[in-house]
This record gives sequence, C-alpha cells and structure tokens, in this order.
Amino acid sequence: MIKAFNFYFLLLLFPVFGCATHTRYVEPTGPRTLVTSEINIQDFSYAAEDMVQSLLTSGAIDKTQQQPAVLAISRIVNNTTQQIDTDMLVKKIRVALNQSGKVLTTTTMGLGGIAEDPLARDIQQEREFYADKKGPPRLPDYTLSGKIIEQSDRKDNVRQVAYIFQLSLTNDEGLAVWEEEKQIAKQSKRSVIGW
Amino acid sequence: MKKKTNSSRVLTCLIAGIALFSSCTTVNTVERATPVGTRHIIADKRIITDSGLHRKVSIVGLNEGTTHGGFLQIQVEVLNQKNSMQAFSYSIEWFDLNGMLIHTPTSVWIPRQIEGGETLAITAVAPTTTAKDFRVKFIEDVRK
Repeated sequence: MIKAFNFYFLLLLFPVFGCATHTRYVEPTGPRTLVTSEINIQDFSYAAEDMVQSLLTSGAIDKTQQQPAVLAISRIVNNTTQQIDTDMLVKKIRVALNQSGKVLTTTTMGLGGIAEDPLARDIQQEREFYADKKGPPRLPDYTLSGKIIEQSDRKDNVRQVAYIFQLSLTNDEGLAVWEEEKQIAKQSKRSVIGW
Repeated sequence: MKKKTNSSRVLTCLIAGIALFSSCTTVNTVERATPVGTRHIIADKRIITDSGLHRKVSIVGLNEGTTHGGFLQIQVEVLNQKNSMQAFSYSIEWFDLNGMLIHTPTSVWIPRQIEGGETLAITAVAPTTTAKDFRVKFIEDVRK
C-alpha cells in the first residue's frame, strides 16, 4: 500500500521536477517574442522598418534617370561584440525596396569583385559576349553601406546596451544622398543571484 | 477626539507614502498657438476591445499624406491619459485597392513607451504605391 502510494506520489511530482520542456511556435514578427540584452531578430526588423520608411520618404531613390534604380550592396561593418550576419538587416531592406518597385538589387556585382550569385554573372557575361555589346552593362546607381555599433553602460544594478544601426546610400558620383541612424536601447536589472 | 486626529495623521502619511513611491511623472509641452502646417485629418473607425489600454494609449487623431514617390503616409497621434509611463506595441497592416493584405518583411509589432500625459506621433509609410488602406493595431506590452 505504502509502495503504491510512493509510486503515485512520484508520478505526480514528475511533471513538476522532470526535465520536460515546453516549446511552442511564436509569430516571429508578433508581440510575444523574447526580449534579451543581445541583438535579436526583432531588433533587425525594427531597424529595417525604420530605414526603409526613411528611404522611401526621402525620395532619394526617385532621382535616377532610369527607373527602377539599381542598388549594389557594399560593406556593412559589424562593430558589436556579437557574431551576427548582417544579412539579417540588409536582406529585409532589399526585399522591402524590391517590393516597393523603386529599387532592384544587383547580385552580379559585389565588394572586391565577388558576385553574390556567380552563375548569374557568368550568364550575364556570356550574353554580353554573344550580343557583341560595345558599352558596359548597366552600372549600379547606388551603393548601400553601413555599420552596426554596440554601446554598453552600467549604473548600480542596471545595465544598458544600445545598438546603433547606421546606413548610407551613395550615388555614382560618390555622394551620400541618404543617410540614416536607428538606435535601439535595452535595459536589464541585475538579479539577486547573478547577472 | 485625539484618537481621531491620530488616525487622520496616519491616513495622511499613508497617502503621502503611496504618492511618493508610485512613479507619477508626466510630460509638460509647449507648441505654437496657431500651427503653420495643416493636417489632413481623416475620419476613423475604432474597435476597442481593451478599454484599459485605450485609457493608457488613447487615439487622438489620424492624418495622412503622400510622399514624393507616391507612397501613402500616415500619422496616428496617441495620448497617455495616465500619470505614469506605459509600454505598448503597435502594428500597421496595409491593404491594396482590392482590400488584400500586402505582406512585407518589415511589418512587425513595434514596442514603444509613452510617458504620463505625453502625446506621441506614430508615423508610417506604405510599403508600395499600391497600398491604399491601412489598419493600426495596439496591444499592451506582453513581451517577456
């Protein structure tokens, strides 16, 4: 009787003290994502959203003779302490600009002569060879460059981490026709046990 | 009589204590008495399911315009009627001429903070020139 009671008692305790984890899907763009002091998926979304809105409002991309404008992606420097893929930011901006109908991004021209899509560049070169084209291919009207910076501060038991997203759009004359900066700051309090 | 005086003192101290520890910080503002710019205020339809949130983030007005590139631009003015800072998130959905939702990679719930008595302008630009209608959604801060 006692053994049976012990068994059922342990069975009741299992869900409480067991190693079971509950994992669920969340909307990645929804209001219930986790907030951490590290740079995360929603920070890139907030930054991209602000950048795209600023760029579309500025009208800088409307000034090319031939529409839509052609954009090449230049260097996006990660100056944070974290290892991040800058495409988390850049790809969102590229997709949004593509959807706007105002900008097309070249995938055959990249920093240091490295094409994002080497096969596409080969096809482009083949086509130009057989078409016996005299002039150069359409060059990008703009390049997009930028930097992501991290700044940490601490006072008493509060730690603040700020992420600064900086982007510049440079035209084919080497002039920055649009620039924007977006800051995201997060504060976390030290817990009783540890940080 | 003396007992009554003592109890009223205790009550006064209690109220003063609550007032001291509750963060009642509000925003004072100043602006031009007769604004130069004219807002194109549009009629809106509101569906309030969270009246508590509506008191914290009440919608004052909605105005719209168009950018140089032909993108619809909106501005929602919200007011925190409370005396303390409130956190909330908002999201904007854009619809085309047929009422179909336009999906964009940057459409997210954006967290904001509004101080007590503060008026905040939330601005947004449509993702495409085909966006003709919009819906702005608000929710209390539910992030962990």
